Amino acid sequence: MGTFIQLVVDGLATGSVYAALALAIVLVNQATGLINFAQGGLAVLSSYIAYAFVQLGLPLILAILVAVVLSFFLGALVERFLVRRFERGDPDTAVVVTIGLLTLVTGIAAVIWSYNNLGFPSLFPLTSVEILGAVVSVRSIATTVTIVVIMVVLQVLFLRTKLGLALRAVADNPNSAALSGLPVGRLLMVGWGLAATLGAIAGVLVAPQLTLTPGMLDTALVYALAAVILGGLSSPVGCVVAASAIGVLENLVAVYVPLIGHDLKIAVPFVLIFVILIIRPQGLFGRKVVVRV
Amino acid sequence: MSNVSSVLRNRSARIALIVLAAIVLVAAPLFLPAFANQTLVRIGVYAVAVLGLNIVMGYTGQVNLGQIFFVGLGAYVTAYGVNHDWNIVVVFLAACTVAGIVGLLVALAAARLGGLAIAMVTIALPIVGVPLAKRLDEFTGGSQGVSARFSDAPEWSGLYSDQWQFYIVLLVTVVAFLLARNLVRGKYGRAFGVVKENEAVAASMGVSPYRTKVLAFTIASIYGGASGFLYLAAVQYTSPETLSFGHSISLLAAMVIGGAGSIIGSLIGGAYYVFVPQLTNAIDPSFTTASQGAILLAVLFLLPHGLVSLPRVVRRLTRRRTARPTHGNPPQTTPAPPPATEPASEGLEKTERQDRS
Repeated sequence: MGTFIQLVVDGLATGSVYAALALAIVLVNQATGLINFAQGGLAVLSSYIAYAFVQLGLPLILAILVAVVLSFFLGALVERFLVRRFERGDPDTAVVVTIGLLTLVTGIAAVIWSYNNLGFPSLFPLTSVEILGAVVSVRSIATTVTIVVIMVVLQVLFLRTKLGLALRAVADNPNSAALSGLPVGRLLMVGWGLAATLGAIAGVLVAPQLTLTPGMLDTALVYALAAVILGGLSSPVGCVVAASAIGVLENLVAVYVPLIGHDLKIAVPFVLIFVILIIRPQGLFGRKVVVRV
Repeated sequence: MSNVSSVLRNRSARIALIVLAAIVLVAAPLFLPAFANQTLVRIGVYAVAVLGLNIVMGYTGQVNLGQIFFVGLGAYVTAYGVNHDWNIVVVFLAACTVAGIVGLLVALAAARLGGLAIAMVTIALPIVGVPLAKRLDEFTGGSQGVSARFSDAPEWSGLYSDQWQFYIVLLVTVVAFLLARNLVRGKYGRAFGVVKENEAVAASMGVSPYRTKVLAFTIASIYGGASGFLYLAAVQYTSPETLSFGHSISLLAAMVIGGAGSIIGSLIGGAYYVFVPQLTNAIDPSFTTASQGAILLAVLFLLPHGLVSLPRVVRRLTRRRTARPTHGNPPQTTPAPPPATEPASEGLEKTERQDRS
């Protein structure tokens, strides 16, 4: 039983990291209709930036904050100078652009920091506490809590503030939003900036565990995409639920189903996807998209 | 350039050109050094993989991030068959069939979700494929990989192995390209084009977008399997590293850089895949990924139809300069039809609905 609880809590922690990345993807998709395959790559770059500031002697929390703020501008600049040109065009071309960006960002990280694994200091103590007889690491709990708090903040931002309303208006209908006087371009930059911020937080939270490499979040990106498919592109709540479920499920399967084990646990969400797509093509929480011609 | 294309339009001149090209291709390996032959062989291997990717992505508009998985699958099936002394033709057919069946199954599920779901599902293939290949070590030899020698030149031919491999790859590549050319110019090619442009229009014309996507994806997987067979013929060894995620991205980059929706572009893509990493590795290995990303983005910005459209763009620019020197080149985000290989596109005018997006 103790192992079980520990696995579930650890699974929730990794699941919340996937959820943050998945939310960033949904955020960008809602605003621009794109799937940003570079979301993980940008988050890795943010983690490297935080690492660089730590190397410069900044306290960890300050380095992370600086990196998170810089990520906002990085995301906004990427939108303005790279993605803007492809937003209204063919979505497949735009996807290739984000893949090019992923390659470029990974490559830049590799040129500056090399492919060697770098140790990233943990924000949270590496001790464990006992809950209901199970030994649970503080880091797992703190990671989950941090990401849940950020999600609540985002939700409030989107539903209770004027900026959130404007962002939603632009996502819903850019033309009408422009006609009612909203600065569509700038709001899209804000949307991308927020997504990059979210990714950066996920990156620095997971970096101590995975150690920094340019491809650190490739796998996490795959999980996040799986969560996005399962939860439905139009449903942030669905993504979070799906991501947490994936995190917990893969942990349990890795330990309790020896046939799959730790090396093949990444196949778990995809087997799930196959089953669910056959039964419910719009995803668990997604709405069926009806296109008018 | 325009006089070149008018020469190409002349039937007898074209036949003469094709015969000349055939003679050059058949004779070349006899005179070239082994290294050049090996490089050409590898270009052929990857050109077939890029061609498959082009069918599903360039022609049908479905982003596929898992093509390398099918290359690896084909390579493993080939290794298995060769090591169990199957007839080489059977091995080739098995490599194509297994890859095709797996591709069909993946597409059946992935194509159900519209839009970019195929991209999101196929990105998992190489990422699941590597640990899977390590796990199934009975078939794959685990992390060590597996080698299979079947492409050494037989005694009677009097050729060196690199020349023999060249002919194997040449044969399969030429057949693959001819088949693909006919495919995209015919009925199915037009169906692919409609599905790419507008699925609703396709459905209203009796072309099922779902079936068309599944078909295109399956064909792409078969090409991947064939490419895997050729890979083993060229390299005689495969390991989980063959199907890593980075290679899949490189394959996609090669396709876009060569020219999406272009048969010749696939060949250029294959050449890019082989040459550019060699070049950047020679300068500084850590630079390879970054330069690839930069080249990919630069091509998307400057030459949205890939290197194959370079002559056309240059011609247009020079013509415009002579005609109206002050008029700038308007940025173009939606691909205009590439020249010869584009299927007929009647009835595909953009609707208001699409412009809204």
